[in-house]
Amino acid sequence: MGGSEERVVAVIMVGGPTKGTRFRPLSLNTPKPLFPLAGQPMVNHPISACKKIPNLAQIYLIGLYEERDFALFVSSISNELRVPVRYLKEDKPHGSAGGLYNFRDQIMEESPSHIFLLNCDVCCSFPLAEMLVVHRSYGGMGTILVIKVSPESASQFGELVADPVTNELLHYTEKPETFVSDRINCGVYLFTPDIFTAVQDVSSQRKDRATLRRISSFEALQPANRSLPSDFVRLDQDILSPLAGKKQFYVYETTDYWEQIKTPGMSLKCSGLYLAQFRHTSPHLLASGEGMKTAAISGNVYIHPSAKVHPTAKIGPSASISANARIGAGVRLVNCIILDDVEIKENAVVIHAIVGWKSSIGRWSRVQASGDHNAKLGVTILGESVMVEDEVVVINSIVLPNKTMNVSVQEEIIL
Amino acid sequence: MKALILVGGFGTRLRPLTLSVPKPLVDFGNKPMILHQIEALKAIGVTEVVLAINYQPEVMMNFLKDFEAKLGIKITCSQETEPLGTAGPLALARDKLIDDSGEPFFVLNSDVISEYPLKDMIEFHKSHGGEASIMVTKVDEPSKYGVVIMEESTGKVERFVEKPKIFVGNKINAGIYLLNPSVLDRIELRPTSIEKEVFPKIAAEKKLYAMVLSGFWMDIGQPKDYITGLRLYLDSLRKQSSPLLASGTNIIGNVLVDETAKIGEGCLIGPDVAIGPGCVVESGVRLSRCTVMRGVRIKKHACVSGSIIGWHSTVGQWARAENMTILGEDVHVGDEVYSNGGVVLPHKEIKSSILKPEIVM
Repeated sequence: MGGSEERVVAVIMVGGPTKGTRFRPLSLNTPKPLFPLAGQPMVNHPISACKKIPNLAQIYLIGLYEERDFALFVSSISNELRVPVRYLKEDKPHGSAGGLYNFRDQIMEESPSHIFLLNCDVCCSFPLAEMLVVHRSYGGMGTILVIKVSPESASQFGELVADPVTNELLHYTEKPETFVSDRINCGVYLFTPDIFTAVQDVSSQRKDRATLRRISSFEALQPANRSLPSDFVRLDQDILSPLAGKKQFYVYETTDYWEQIKTPGMSLKCSGLYLAQFRHTSPHLLASGEGMKTAAISGNVYIHPSAKVHPTAKIGPSASISANARIGAGVRLVNCIILDDVEIKENAVVIHAIVGWKSSIGRWSRVQASGDHNAKLGVTILGESVMVEDEVVVINSIVLPNKTMNVSVQEEIIL
Repeated sequence: MKALILVGGFGTRLRPLTLSVPKPLVDFGNKPMILHQIEALKAIGVTEVVLAINYQPEVMMNFLKDFEAKLGIKITCSQETEPLGTAGPLALARDKLIDDSGEPFFVLNSDVISEYPLKDMIEFHKSHGGEASIMVTKVDEPSKYGVVIMEESTGKVERFVEKPKIFVGNKINAGIYLLNPSVLDRIELRPTSIEKEVFPKIAAEKKLYAMVLSGFWMDIGQPKDYITGLRLYLDSLRKQSSPLLASGTNIIGNVLVDETAKIGEGCLIGPDVAIGPGCVVESGVRLSRCTVMRGVRIKKHACVSGSIIGWHSTVGQWARAENMTILGEDVHVGDEVYSNGGVVLPHKEIKSSILKPEIVM
């Protein structure tokens, strides 16, 4: 029976520095979880969503980054949201389930009845309170958030088959070559503490197999037999797949937006999605463009209070301006993220781009891209301290930190 | 005697190598670039070297601690808070460069690798009695650089021409200077160019003299020139009959192999190869015109030419890297993969072939 004393803990996996080079060049300067989307660090969005959980006791961030990378963030977010947030550093990768298991003592400190597991680089509406309600009614070990996608794109993810009546997880397969299902794993889970026993079973089985079995040299070459350490346990392949169809796991389907934030291009798209969400949930965070002295605002725009925007500039839709940025007269910004301390001089144009910290964009210069968030060069990315000189045009390109662009370029990566 | 080495900024042209260490610490010929200059200075009696830096001072400081003791020369840093150009750093380091002796001091550019005939330069400077001496070198394509027009017999400099459109001369500024302390009175503490503002004034007063550098010279600030520079450097080692060069049935031409590196059976190494500390070159490997940095493993039957393999990377079995392939730190090229000019940022695995030159982030 769900009582008012039932405490819930949320765990957010934030990843680590050498994995995931897809977020370069932005990750050269900042850990991906702290990169701002819609004016807030990426990890803020799942953390804020956790506030909707009734009886939330604690939020844990688990990752491979150094503690000092998260120290400031964790203390300020704990204060701001009035929820205890702690960062736990893994000494080595343990896999998505192994990481949870590795810190089971801390997670179980307050004897929570339920544990949410979220991936930091997932952009969605996080319907956590609703998941808790249905999970209780299913009575299983876990409930997985799923979403329907196009059959062509489904093979990039974990595909799930669920019973349409009971919502029980019947089958799970990770990135299959042939079509299995158009429902995919969103990377948001709710578990009861039994999950730890399930992980422990996988670890012990693997340990036993390793000592008992002598693999022939041919078998040893097969990728499937490449032995994983016993404490490396993947949620998808090692737990969900084998336990599907055994009345242990259930699904909850969301019809809201969902994206993975793997590349800078996608981070721009997700920033736009969160800005659109703010329009419904927290419109006070968005710029209103009212009053004589403010710039013209179109669509959903975030402007940090310390940023200075000239009244003749036109900002948006989907623009986000960070702290201490200076936007000059006659500047046009469309679908972009302008990071801290950037200076954009008069009459410059920025469309479908991310402008890195401390960069400077010259007068009448143009920084733009096709806006295809999935293409390698579909969003122009300027790293930290990039200077684009007056009247220079940078299109569909990526520029690494500390470069000066004094000639126009298209479709290039500038190291 | 004192010296200043202009270390400067971010070294973006040598990326991806400079994403892992500051440029002066990138290895060349199996030792950090800047060590070549510091050793040349020590050899002619310089007692103190000042490094003018504006990037990653902590990393440079750590390096200094290691080498100050080993080399027996005092090394200090002069840190720019804003980029001061090619002359400003001298003003910033003024107090470190001048002492009561009134002796001239050397200024070197950290991107340059050369023979460093510094003793001859001191003699030259004394003999002409001018205020400043600069080293010039003859190049094939002068318009890429700043050309120095000088009187052939005395070396007196008449003027500088930056990147001339027509042929005016083929001697360019080699980035090695010997200056009297009075030159510092001409430099203000602000971003200043020594070639455009300071030297032309000294030349107008007929007090600037140029000496033609004999021996090799290369600006190794970018990968193509780094590889050419290695050939010139190893060639000069050969001329000096240096014991550092390797020999054996599996060695062709000039090859440098660190004593802690291991080379397997049936390899063919050279010409113009440098293999760094702790490297493992497995059997049947062909290496030519390349640099293999500390801790790299080249697996069996692989082939590397005209490339730079960064620290702790691996090149897989039967893999082939050629045509200006530059691997950053900790890059792993899979078995049988082909890279034609791939430029790969640190901490990556390359599992499929790179057919034409491309940057892999």
